[in-house]
Amino acid sequence: MNRSFIARNPSVLVFLALLALFTLVVSVLSEGFGIGLVSTSFVKTLGKTLCLCLIAVAMDLIWGYAGILSLGHFAFFGLGGYMIGMWLMYERTRQIVVSSLSEGVLPPTPEEIETGIAGQIFGVVGSADFPLIWAFADSLVIQLALVVLVPGILALVFGWLAFRSRVTGVYLSILTQAMTLGLSLYLFQNASGLRGNNGLSGLQNLPGVSAPQSVVSMWFFWASALALALGYLLVAWVVSGKFGSVIRGIRDNEARVRFLGYSVESYKLAVFTLTACLSGIAGALYYPQAGIINPAEVAPIASIYLAVWVAIGGRGRLYGAVIGAAFVSLVSSWFTGGQAPDINLGFYTIQWVDWWLILLGLSFVLVTLFAPSGMGGLVDLLMRGKKRGGNT
Amino acid sequence: MKTMLLTVLSALFLCHGGTAQAQTVQDILQSQRALIEQSSRRTIGPAIDAIADSGLAQMQSVLEAWQAKDMWQRLEDGFFFAAHKTADGSYELTDFESGAVIGTYPKDALAQIKPNSGIRAMIATALVRFQLSDPDMARRGEALDSIARNPEAGLLGPLRAAIPSEKDPTLLARKLRLERLMTMSYDTDTAARVAAITAMAGDLGVDFRATLNPILTTRIVVADAGVTPEGNIAATLVPGEAALSRDAAYALLVEADKAQPVLTPDARDAGLEAHIESGRIAGTPIAKLDTETARDAAYGALAAKGLVPLLVHPPDIDASLANHQFFSIYHEPSQQVTEAAEAALAKSQSRVVASQAIDLGLDALSLASIYFLAAIGLAITFGVMGVINMAHGEFIMMGAYTGYVVQQFVPNHTASILVAVPLAFAVTFAAGVALERLVIRWLYHRPLETLLATFGVSIALQQLAKNIFGTQARPLTAPSWLDGAWVINDVVSISYIRIAIFVLALMFMGLFVFIMKRTRLGLETRAVTQNPRMAAGMGINPDRVNMLTFGLGSGIAGIAGVAIGLFAKVTSEMGGDYIVQSFMTVVVGGVGNIWGTLAGALMIGGFQKGVEWLNPSNTLAAQTYMIVFIIIFIQFRPRGIIALRGRAAGD
Amino acid sequence: MSTLLEVSGVSVSFDGFRAINNLTFQIGNAELRAVIGPNGAGKTTFMDIVTGKTRPDSGHISWGEKNLSLIGMSEARIAQAGIGRKFQKPTVFEDQTVQENLLMALRKDRGPLAVLFFRPSAADLERVAELAGEIGLTDSLLRVSGELSHGQKQWLEIGMLLAQEPRLLLVDEPAAGMTPAEREKTTAILVEAAKTRAVVVVEHDMEFVRRLNCKVTVLHEGAVLAEGSLDHVTKNQEVIDVYLGR
Repeated sequence: MNRSFIARNPSVLVFLALLALFTLVVSVLSEGFGIGLVSTSFVKTLGKTLCLCLIAVAMDLIWGYAGILSLGHFAFFGLGGYMIGMWLMYERTRQIVVSSLSEGVLPPTPEEIETGIAGQIFGVVGSADFPLIWAFADSLVIQLALVVLVPGILALVFGWLAFRSRVTGVYLSILTQAMTLGLSLYLFQNASGLRGNNGLSGLQNLPGVSAPQSVVSMWFFWASALALALGYLLVAWVVSGKFGSVIRGIRDNEARVRFLGYSVESYKLAVFTLTACLSGIAGALYYPQAGIINPAEVAPIASIYLAVWVAIGGRGRLYGAVIGAAFVSLVSSWFTGGQAPDINLGFYTIQWVDWWLILLGLSFVLVTLFAPSGMGGLVDLLMRGKKRGGNT
Repeated sequence: MKTMLLTVLSALFLCHGGTAQAQTVQDILQSQRALIEQSSRRTIGPAIDAIADSGLAQMQSVLEAWQAKDMWQRLEDGFFFAAHKTADGSYELTDFESGAVIGTYPKDALAQIKPNSGIRAMIATALVRFQLSDPDMARRGEALDSIARNPEAGLLGPLRAAIPSEKDPTLLARKLRLERLMTMSYDTDTAARVAAITAMAGDLGVDFRATLNPILTTRIVVADAGVTPEGNIAATLVPGEAALSRDAAYALLVEADKAQPVLTPDARDAGLEAHIESGRIAGTPIAKLDTETARDAAYGALAAKGLVPLLVHPPDIDASLANHQFFSIYHEPSQQVTEAAEAALAKSQSRVVASQAIDLGLDALSLASIYFLAAIGLAITFGVMGVINMAHGEFIMMGAYTGYVVQQFVPNHTASILVAVPLAFAVTFAAGVALERLVIRWLYHRPLETLLATFGVSIALQQLAKNIFGTQARPLTAPSWLDGAWVINDVVSISYIRIAIFVLALMFMGLFVFIMKRTRLGLETRAVTQNPRMAAGMGINPDRVNMLTFGLGSGIAGIAGVAIGLFAKVTSEMGGDYIVQSFMTVVVGGVGNIWGTLAGALMIGGFQKGVEWLNPSNTLAAQTYMIVFIIIFIQFRPRGIIALRGRAAGD
Repeated sequence: MSTLLEVSGVSVSFDGFRAINNLTFQIGNAELRAVIGPNGAGKTTFMDIVTGKTRPDSGHISWGEKNLSLIGMSEARIAQAGIGRKFQKPTVFEDQTVQENLLMALRKDRGPLAVLFFRPSAADLERVAELAGEIGLTDSLLRVSGELSHGQKQWLEIGMLLAQEPRLLLVDEPAAGMTPAEREKTTAILVEAAKTRAVVVVEHDMEFVRRLNCKVTVLHEGAVLAEGSLDHVTKNQEVIDVYLGR
């Protein structure tokens, strides 16, 4: 069965091969394991980009295939990051606290350690107690499960409410946007238990690991590549069969699918929840590479950018989402990072830091108007051209 | 006037026991000479009192000279004079009694009396009684302000004395009110105090509540079981209840030497560390002391040997607390007064709560007006045309920046606002028409794509504004006649600018209804919305109608931008603050219906203020709850408060 | 002949407008029925109510031998219970192939999990091919259905309905926009289908109705005006006044 799936979807194989090649090349060029042509910070950028590609694949599933323009998937991404961040921060702080307490005459008691960690973590928000939501922060296994469960359950509850009442189209988009806005406002509060606008920091340090960042960054890079490969494979498999037919049917004509006897709501809910879980995993891999997560990460604008990537890349084709996310986010950081050369027009100098967003916004309008299938559409065109060329 | 003051003052001192005799100013000053020379804040009180209470009219100028550091002492005889520096550096002395110049002396024959700031403040208080009857109304007002700031028992008499002579009704009312408030605190007659309190019960003034609160302050007193302490008991406290925690109660017992202090963990650990004997504490290896119980046990062992103070265990605390009673006792000794004050305060509090509710209602109304203003343009573009315009917030921003630019050229704020409003409309109308022609026109049947394309426009416009105006907030100043607030009482007030926004919202509402129901454009818009083909068949140009309608919605957003800019900061990101709320307003209200938008704005504004009221410290929480509420609300009314049904709903 | 669907006393109004007014309607197993009526008579709303899209304000709808009430059931459950519906405009999934369209409609477990792990068996593909034969689309099985002609799309939609194996088929204006030859074929498909199940055809075109040669129900202002053979109802004076006479 699996063979027939790959056979019917050669693009999946091509993608996986390219991804493997890319991973290999980066590994060989890296500082940690290779000749050091690619700096550690750039490895992190690439690893983060792979995570963004993974959430873009999820976005493509929910939007490109099921037709639900969610403007809230970064909420799930952020929650995934927070869940892993809690363990990273707790465990690392615990080690620091234990080592500093051990210098005392008496061996530290569990209570002293707990109080010490709480003071270290929550001192900035004027608290010295662990909030209830940190109950499992000492267990990596549970927090890893929560990376999937928390976004999944939020998506399940929110989706159940929204789909049940047949909120569709732009209404649903606005509602998902409200969801992520609500979450970010909630997280901004000190009382949220997640350090308010300070967020969680120091996440790049793996507790108990003495390896240098150049090595750790490669581990995360590989993990991100693996997650992207598996996520891509999973989504490609999901959309390839009858399930894919049904959700594309929902996208094109929801009522018709309903009259065929499919419970449209269940399908939407399933896709929404699945993509939320994928987003959570992507976030859990992203933020340890970024080192810090704060509530601004889940602000509505982030999710809209996600839609922009997928639209520019070309929705309804998974490689399009990957191309869009990788291209736009890398080009964005190139322009806004001040690396792009300014253009001197004589009377005015275009500084890309200032003008990049304008360029992005306008090109986005142009893509929407004139190239609804995005950059992925170009790939399609090339392939079709080749096929036609071969036929004649 | 002065004679009257004199009689009043002397009458006052007669009833105070009448120490006043026919004395001169200098007599009195000489009698206090030692204190004045000492010039110490702690001891100067009697001297100032003696001067102020002397009943001599000239004493006001004495005090003023003293306060202004213009009082000098002649070294040869120690007499006090008002001194005035002459051109050659010597000093011209003036007699306080007669006001006559008595001669010029070199500086070394004189000593300046230098009151420090504490003494000067006391002099100022003493001066108040003179100022209360000053012919200058402004000074009488200042004197009242000064008393209200620092009321004290000694001022009650002078204040009462200054009442009959007061002619100005406003000042008279203030004096009477102040007199009553001071009666509550300082009158020696309990009945008079109770009467004053009861008479003002329910008053909303902050000053009234500020007067009552000190009367009702309490202290906590510990007594052995079965013993009732002296004093005006307010309540019996039970440790562990809200008014007195167990820890605090036990701390009181410790303070009163009625119980052993509880050992802090640090003190316990210090005790342990002080008794280490060859790697062991009380026989236990140090390494084993890694739990709280182990440490307690080791400490207990040390205590049993008498090496450290005993550990207080929870049962000991329980027993100590059970053996004692805790009372809160009013500082105020008179029970009648405290009872009256409690009753009066309760009455005031309930009225304050009622007023706060009204105030909250007004707040909610003005917030709703803002949401309505921000959303009304959307109600047109999204509600009527079904076009989702993510750049709507940027049109609001554009309107606000137009106002800012106009103010750079038209300095008069009233005129600039009058220019800015139509100009903002024109600018955003043009921008809206351009957006409709260039982008939205091509996407009429692809609402999600419209959303995305207009979002692209939104980020481009935002960045453009940032490039032009920078990232810092720009001011858009309201005309001065919009400053200030309409104060209804000490609790309820509403700023004029909010009233103006409310009025503006009403005007827009009217304008919208008028355009939609009474004009050709409205008719055509409704026709095109309902059935574009048929409308086209009847000679309506749907392109033109769409363009104009979109322009109208955008133009209104521009005007809303000017209004919002007047009270919020004008930044390139301000649009984003309103866009989600605006969509919520339209969606919650029910799409395609202006009354729905109004209802949505009222509901969201009201709900948000309501939550803020329950949790005033946290406006973020209010917004979070509001969004959760909206998501749940949509469950029950997916089409909004005012929903269209059937074919018109267009599904 | 036992009753399959019984609609009794159903009313629904939109913003004060009574679209369906105390409507009563019955159809038995394996019966072909045409429903005609002027614009706004409530034909489409009637279908909406039966298929669960619109919830009536009052009245009963009972279904099948067990007299199941359809009111309050979701569209999907009503469809699973055996009511298929064809829309006025051909609505097929245009960017999917004819085969995919038919596979989706095939009577199978509709739950998301079952669908996720579903892979078509040889029998399924055979059944799809057979259906394609019935609707004359054997050659187009692997074509994207958006490329089909208008008439072919209509047939594909009917084919999808047949694949659902419903006990009652509601067909809204199947002949609209078809060439005479296509109409004939459509008539044949419907008549054939009605041999094994109940079919309700809503139609404007009298010629088409005549060719169906079945019992006719005339709707007017949301209620049944007349019922009987086409000749019978066309002689009814009221029907002539409100519909035919115009």
